Amino acid sequence: MKTRRDVYQAIADPTRRAIINMIATQPHNVNTIAANFAVTRQAISLHIQILADCGLINVKQHGRDRFCEARLDQLNEVSTWVDQYRQHWESKLDDLEKYVVQLKNERNGKHKK
Amino acid sequence: MESTKSNTADRELRLTRTIDAPVELVWEVWTQPEHIAKWWGPNGFTNTISKMIVEPGGEWDLVMHGPDGTDYKNKSIFKEIIPLKKIVYEHVSGPKFVATIEFEAQGGQTLLSWHMLFETHEQFIQVVKTFKADEGLKQNLEKLNQYVKGVNPM
Repeated sequence: MKTRRDVYQAIADPTRRAIINMIATQPHNVNTIAANFAVTRQAISLHIQILADCGLINVKQHGRDRFCEARLDQLNEVSTWVDQYRQHWESKLDDLEKYVVQLKNERNGKHKK
Repeated sequence: MESTKSNTADRELRLTRTIDAPVELVWEVWTQPEHIAKWWGPNGFTNTISKMIVEPGGEWDLVMHGPDGTDYKNKSIFKEIIPLKKIVYEHVSGPKFVATIEFEAQGGQTLLSWHMLFETHEQFIQVVKTFKADEGLKQNLEKLNQYVKGVNPM
């Protein structure tokens, strides 16, 4: 059984978002990342594994260190869907606008009779 | 809650629109159930509004009927009402969010500002994901794709 991983799952957790923020500007090794959080190293390793599975970070081995770097291009998927959701509301405003203007014209028409 | 002190950019949506009608009419269309039923909800949906008490603390119960027969219940509570200026309501059924709609008269036109603030980033993403699954939207995207392919000479 394989759990489906996607970018939404990656960013659904506040710790994972914090990890992405931390490595967004420069890669860090796993120990440095873990030292920044109040949770166990194992918990951080699991978060990093999920982020890697979701394609949001690359993990590279340098000697004994494992370096994590962000793949921020993957986050575009989220902004694309946020845009779709925005489009939905824009289209609601289109409907509101059409309806209001139609109503206005109808009422103006009645006044002119 | 901890997240309230932080920046809200990752869980909000803001839209503005100038409507070519006086603010009295736009307000009427927003606050009377028989009008709101005409334009609310995704395309292809119809609406039944069983309750809409436009005053602070007033309840608003709206059911959207999807094209496949599925009903989507929405319950909200109006938090703030300033006639012809402002409506704030809290969507209390999931997903939880607070919407603020401001009306500004500009001559015979109305500037409408629409702001939705979700309780958490997780809820916002959940909504966006749910929307991703929306069949109607997929169809629209497919239509758009077909259209773009037809237009693009490459």
